[in-house]
Amino acid sequence: MKFFKLALRNVFRNKRRTSITFLSIIAGMIALIVFGGFVEYSFWGLRESTIHSQLGHIQIFKKGYSEKGRSNPGEYLIKDFRSIEKKLYRLPEIELVTARLSFSGLISTGEKTLTCKGFGVIPEREKKLASFETLKEGSHLSAENKDEILVGVELKKSLGANMGDYLTILTTNSFGMINAGDLKLIGTGQSGSAEYDAVFVKIPLNAAQTLLDTQSIEKVVILLSKTEDTEKVVKKIQQIIDDNNLDLEIRTWDQLATYYNSVVRLYNGIFNVIKVIIAIIVFFSIANTMIMSIFERVKEIGTLRAIGTKKSGIMQMFLWEGFFVGVLGGILGIIAGVLVALIINISGGIYIPPPPGMGVGYQSLIFVVPEVLIYSYLSTVIVSTLSSIYPAAKAIRLYIVEAIAHT
Amino acid sequence: MTKQIINLKNIDKEYKLGQTKITALKDVSLDIQAGEFISVCGPSGSGKTTLLNIIGCLDTPTKGNVKIIEKDVINYSDAKLSELRNKYIGFIFQSFNLIPVLSTFENVDYPLVLLGMKKKQRQEKVHAILSEVGLYDHKKHRPDELSGGQRQRVAIARALVTNPKLVLADEPTANLDHKTGVAILDLMQKMNEEHNCTFIFSTHDPEVMKYAKKIYHLRDGEIQKQGKRS
Repeated sequence: MKFFKLALRNVFRNKRRTSITFLSIIAGMIALIVFGGFVEYSFWGLRESTIHSQLGHIQIFKKGYSEKGRSNPGEYLIKDFRSIEKKLYRLPEIELVTARLSFSGLISTGEKTLTCKGFGVIPEREKKLASFETLKEGSHLSAENKDEILVGVELKKSLGANMGDYLTILTTNSFGMINAGDLKLIGTGQSGSAEYDAVFVKIPLNAAQTLLDTQSIEKVVILLSKTEDTEKVVKKIQQIIDDNNLDLEIRTWDQLATYYNSVVRLYNGIFNVIKVIIAIIVFFSIANTMIMSIFERVKEIGTLRAIGTKKSGIMQMFLWEGFFVGVLGGILGIIAGVLVALIINISGGIYIPPPPGMGVGYQSLIFVVPEVLIYSYLSTVIVSTLSSIYPAAKAIRLYIVEAIAHT
Repeated sequence: MTKQIINLKNIDKEYKLGQTKITALKDVSLDIQAGEFISVCGPSGSGKTTLLNIIGCLDTPTKGNVKIIEKDVINYSDAKLSELRNKYIGFIFQSFNLIPVLSTFENVDYPLVLLGMKKKQRQEKVHAILSEVGLYDHKKHRPDELSGGQRQRVAIARALVTNPKLVLADEPTANLDHKTGVAILDLMQKMNEEHNCTFIFSTHDPEVMKYAKKIYHLRDGEIQKQGKRS
């Protein structure tokens, strides 16, 4: 405790020097909090848009679909959607249960033909599931009309089609036969992913079933009220599957969202590099200020040693100083970081141009995340304490006789 | 019978200044008894400070043997020497060397904190010694709020608060005006008599030397003569 008090006094003795150290800590923490908050927002945005435009939180397939279903989808279809649906709706966390039947094929205006990825959807439920998908033109699919089609905004452009045009879908049905259907273009949608927008088409589920010559569906898509409940609900669904001996398998959004996972890995990598760079800057800034303070305090250190302070005592004093600088600077840094984040959010966020593979840019907000604050604070305190080791080592190497006579 | 407190035997101290070797002390031998009031005099560069530093265990000789308070300190570790200084030796410096961030009370309290003494006992001791040096009312003042004489009184209080066996004062009055210097010497003399602790102070001022009961004259690192005041 004796060096604790001395260190605390020393932190405040040269206000200008301490302010400069605090400024570098504050700058570092603002960078960490804002960048960390930006990353968190990006993860959240990408995750929710992936969930709410394509995947839902949970998908249920016929057992074996993940392994073999892609090459032979007709063999892995679910027949009794209605009874599964009824069982699933008993779970309170579930907001929506819908079905999809997807297919690959060709889409043609008669003059131009392109490949497409089609989804048979339940129209009135699709609006809720794909809430992050924006309708760019026309209207959503309606429950009543079986022969409607909604296509991706990029696909419509490439086809050169107009609203109201009849487009022909050509695909193979579940028996491997080629089948075709004419559907009226009633709208275009945009998901944010330019690649996806260039291939997707949505048609009513019953139209897709007719086209594929089946009464079954490919998968059950489940939307939850809260993404955080995913793991919990998966367990409950698994229980239902086991209890009812259903021949089904479950996939969660993060197992299916390969793009999201690679973005998370990339951003985390970048964030880690930035964290290290900031830590190094803060480290040297504090170490430099402390070394400067040693030159000013040579005589004092010599006196402390002369009157009986051991080297370990001087070391402790400097480590405490580093610790206090980190603790106090860190508090100021959190306040400043949160304020900057709030100002950015109030002013509408930062405009981010379209990321690779995305069709549109977005206004990024800064999420103030407790984990980022705690991480930034703890790392500041640790870096600050560690940065005082070298100055402390320098201080204990001072030759007492020369130090006490230092002017 | 008085007790021997310092025993130096054939002490040599050499420094290197660039390529040049400087002999600060040459074959110095000393015996000092408990309770003595001694002055080490000599012109600038005669080796006074080096001698005090060796006696105070702040420096080690190049050759010779040092016994302080019956302890052979030559082979002591740095930590052990620190403990010895804290427990048995008080220091008074020419430019006071107080800790600027600590108050008068805290400066005097610091050596007791190092000794690990309980707070209540420390408070009693610090208050008593501050009253003795006439600075009780200034106990909350920081060094920069005190005059030169007051700062040196704080230094004396800090040197004596642990009841040391030995107090070393290197030119204690050099930075003070004559009147304040005399007051400080009177105080040191009083403390020597009342606390029965050995005082060794260095000076080159003949007026100051007069206070000493025994005087060692140093020249070019050698003790030229030893005198006694009647």
